[in-house]
Amino acid sequence: MASLSRIKRQIVRQAVDENLDTINGVLPGIRNDRSRSEITLLSVFFYVALPAAVFALSYILSPMAVGEATDSRLAATRAPVRRAEPVVAEAGVPAESTTTYASPRPLDPAVMPLTLRRVVLDPGHGGSNLGTVAPGGLPEKVITLDIADRLRQLLEDHGYDVVMTRETDESKSLKKRGDMANEAEGDIFLSIHVNWIELQEIRGIETFYLGPTDDPYVTELAATENQGSGYSLADFRGILERVYADVRQKESRELATAVQSALFDSLTKVNPTVRNRGVKSAPFGVLVRTEMPAILAEVSCLSNALEARLLAMPSYRQLLAEALFSGIDSYARELNQAYQIGG
Amino acid sequence: MTEDGGKSGKPRVLTVGVDLGTSRSAVSASNGERHVIDSYVGWPVDMVARKVLKKKVLIGDDAVENRVMLDLRRPLEKGLIREGSERDAEAVQELLSHLLSLVKTDEDGDNQKVRAVVGVPAEALRVNKQQLRNAMEGLVDSLMIVSEPFAVAYGLEALLHALVVDIGAGTSDFCVMNGRYPTDDDQRTLTMAGDYIDEQLFDLVTSKHSEATFSRHMIREWKEQHSYVGEAKDPIVVSAPVQGKPTDFDITEEMKVACESLLPSVTETMIDLVARVEPEYQAKVRSNVILSGGSCLIRGMGQVLQEALKDVGGGQVRVVKDPVFVGSDGGLALAKDAPASDWEKLSS
Repeated sequence: MASLSRIKRQIVRQAVDENLDTINGVLPGIRNDRSRSEITLLSVFFYVALPAAVFALSYILSPMAVGEATDSRLAATRAPVRRAEPVVAEAGVPAESTTTYASPRPLDPAVMPLTLRRVVLDPGHGGSNLGTVAPGGLPEKVITLDIADRLRQLLEDHGYDVVMTRETDESKSLKKRGDMANEAEGDIFLSIHVNWIELQEIRGIETFYLGPTDDPYVTELAATENQGSGYSLADFRGILERVYADVRQKESRELATAVQSALFDSLTKVNPTVRNRGVKSAPFGVLVRTEMPAILAEVSCLSNALEARLLAMPSYRQLLAEALFSGIDSYARELNQAYQIGG
Repeated sequence: MTEDGGKSGKPRVLTVGVDLGTSRSAVSASNGERHVIDSYVGWPVDMVARKVLKKKVLIGDDAVENRVMLDLRRPLEKGLIREGSERDAEAVQELLSHLLSLVKTDEDGDNQKVRAVVGVPAEALRVNKQQLRNAMEGLVDSLMIVSEPFAVAYGLEALLHALVVDIGAGTSDFCVMNGRYPTDDDQRTLTMAGDYIDEQLFDLVTSKHSEATFSRHMIREWKEQHSYVGEAKDPIVVSAPVQGKPTDFDITEEMKVACESLLPSVTETMIDLVARVEPEYQAKVRSNVILSGGSCLIRGMGQVLQEALKDVGGGQVRVVKDPVFVGSDGGLALAKDAPASDWEKLSS
C-alpha cells in the first residue's frame, strides 16, 4: 500500500508538471532540452558571438566548399549544415594547426544550436497544378500548403527562420522554387508532398533526397512530381551532373533519415498499419537546383481511402506537421552535437 | 461533499472529474453527483424554433430529440475540439458548463472553487489541450488535462504493469502503466472506434437494403443494442421504413462484420504496446489488460482480445464494470489526490 501511495504521489506530480508544460507552451520532450529562455539567450549569443564563429568556420570549411560558396555570408549560412568531424578527418591534421586565424575551440557551445537557422519549406504543387486528388475532391496542393503553414508555426515558435516557396494557392515552377531557396540562403530545404500509390490498400510514407535511382516506381513518381519543372533542355545536362555528383547527398540523406524516422514513429502511434517505405534517392527536379541539403517527403497517401479521410482532419495534418518538425529538430540537434565533438 | 472552507468563510472546493467524449460525456464530483449526457449541443435555427423550444441552447438528449429545429453540433471530433470553428468551441463551453451545472449545488453559490480533471484522448495534441483549456476558462478555477486511459488506470489503481484499452466513439486509446505518468511511448490512439463501426454498419446495411431508408441515428441505436463480435447469440432483426412502411431486416451478419472491423487494428496495437514493455514485465502486463470505454460493451470483445493474446503467450482481459463513469471517476480520484499547492499552480 505504501508503494502504491508513493507511485500515486509521483504520478500526480508528473501529471501536474505535464499540464504546466502545456500552459507554458512547451512541447513534450522539449522542456528539459531547450527552454524558451534558452532560445532567447542563444539569440543574444547569435548577435554577439556569431561573427567570430562565421569567420572561423568559413575558413575551416573553405577547402571543401562546394565552389559557389565564396561569399563569406553564404559560407556562413552553409557552414552550419556541415559536420566538423569530417573536416578534421579530411584535413588529416587538427583543424587549428592549419590556420593562423582564431581557432574554433574558444567558441561558446551555446552558439551551436543556431547552426541550423533557416528552413525553406516548399508546399508541393499549387495553382493550376493540383497534384494528386482524393476521391472526395481534396487536392494535394491544399494539403501540402496547410501542413507547411502548421510546420512553419512550429519552427518559428522554436526559434527557426522559415521561408516558404509559396504562401498561397499559386503556380510556381520547380526551378523558381529552387531559386527562392537559394536566394533566401536556407540551411535546409523540405518539399512536402502527398503520394498516390496504385495499390490503394497501401498506406505508406517515404522520404527522398537527390540522387539516381533504378527503381521504376521511383522513376515514375519523380516524373510525375517533376511536371511543370520550368527547366529547359539546356538545363538538363547540368541537372544530370548534379544528380550523380552532388556533394550535399550525405547531409540530405541524414536529414531525410531523421524526417522519415520522426514521421514513421508519429504515424504508427495513430495507425499501426502505416508502412515505412524508407529513405530513397530520386531525381526530383525541385531538389536539383537547391544549394543546401534538400529532401522531398511524401507524408501520406491520398490513394488510400482512410488516409484521405484522415488528411481532411486538421488534427491529422497537425500531427504530420509536428512529426516533420520533430525530424528537422532532431537533425539540428545532431548537427549541434557533431559540432561540439568536432569543434 | 465539499472538502474545505464552509463555516470559516473560505471558498468551498468542489473537485470534479470529466470524461469528454465524442458520443457521451460524463462527470463525477466530490459531492457524490454523477451524470452522463450525449455530447450534442444545438441552437434553434430561427425565430420560430426559438419560440417553440423556449431555450437559447439545448444540450444532450434534449438537443438530439429536437434536432430538426436546431443547428446541432457534436463539438468533440475524435475526442478533441475541432479546429477552425468558433461554433464548436462555443458548443464545448456549453457542454462543459452544462456538465458542471449538473454537479454544482445551489447552497455554495459563488463561494465555491471548482477544480477539474478532464480526460482527453491519449495522444491529444498540445494545441488541442490548449483549446480545451481556453474553452473552460471561467468555468473552473483550476484545470488539469490528462489522457482518458490514464484517468481510467488511475481510478482503478492499475498503475503498475497494466494496459488500458479504452475504446470510445471517436478514438481507441491504449495506455501502458509502468508506475509513472505515461509518456508518448506508453500510449497510442487509433481513430477507429465506435463511430467507425457506425460508418461500416451504415455502408453495409444501405448497400444490401437500398430500398429502405436508414438514418445514422438508427444505425447507432442498433449498434448500441446489438453489437457483438464472435458468435451471434440471436438473429438481429430491426425495423426500417420502405416507402413509408415499417419493414423488418436481419442485420446479424452486417453487425458482426462492422464490429469486427475494429479488431485487426486494436489487437495489433495492443500486442505492439505489450511488446515494447521490458521483457520481464510483459507477462504481467498481458495478464492485466483492462478494457474500458463505451465500445467495451460490444459483446464478446474482451474474450476476442484475450484470444488474440494467446499468440504472444496468453493473458487476461478484464472488462470494466462501469464503462460510463470509469473515466470521470478516475479523473475525480486524481483531482482529490492532487495537493492544493499543485491546484494553485494550475489555476486559470
